[in-house]
Amino acid sequence: MPRRRMVMELGMGVDIRGRDATEAACRAVENAIRQNSLSVADAFGLAREQMLITAIIGVQAPDEVDVAAVAALFPYGQVAVEVRHGGMDAPGNEGTTGPTLANAVVLVDLDLPEDHPALDAGQTRREFAVPEPGGTAA
Amino acid sequence: MSASADLSLRRIILEMGTGNDLYGENYTKAACRAVQDAIHHSSLLLFRSLDIDPATMEIAVTVAAQQPDAVDREAVARELPYGRVSVEVTPGGLDIDHPDTGRRSVIVNVALDVRVPIPAR
Repeated sequence: MPRRRMVMELGMGVDIRGRDATEAACRAVENAIRQNSLSVADAFGLAREQMLITAIIGVQAPDEVDVAAVAALFPYGQVAVEVRHGGMDAPGNEGTTGPTLANAVVLVDLDLPEDHPALDAGQTRREFAVPEPGGTAA
Repeated sequence: MSASADLSLRRIILEMGTGNDLYGENYTKAACRAVQDAIHHSSLLLFRSLDIDPATMEIAVTVAAQQPDAVDREAVARELPYGRVSVEVTPGGLDIDHPDTGRRSVIVNVALDVRVPIPAR
């Protein structure tokens, strides 16, 4: 079935003192998914459990992220978690441990049935302006 | 769009955000920041994936502020790059008075109900 990318959600999370990459990653995912209420699956006639979710985490210590703990945050959907080097370990103050920042991107795809009318390109097709990379802000 | 297409507006997402104006007591500025907060936690990739014209999107913005009449609804609507936008302002948000300076910080919430015409199966 044609898999189409529907929505990207973005978030950032911090563990202030603990240097806990999993805590920061979980907060980043919560920040991403709790600021939106998604109804794309229903809008396209699918069950929300059919959402195909890819969570991509950026932290400085990717090996320390408990991937299962991150996946458990999603109330429904088929979840894959990917952890990359990124985020930030912010500087501490006078010898203390600094905050650990995690970035999270959550990609939501749907496998639409072959005969879904929304796949009929040209039905509502319009050209629209998307800013070019490196372009200046309007 | 073919004439036979049975399109109905379906909500695809409700985006929520919070903005403030810490010193200026400007509810419109706080509302505009709340809209920016709301729209930059997601990207509606389906417009490109499914060749849907974003101009067909309908966005109903609800703004909650302690002084609803102080919110410039047209300025709020201009924060949104695509779609047909309506803005409603209701009492809400949070104001914090600072007795030592006599000033006030204002916090405004927004919710964006985003609907897109989707062909019925």
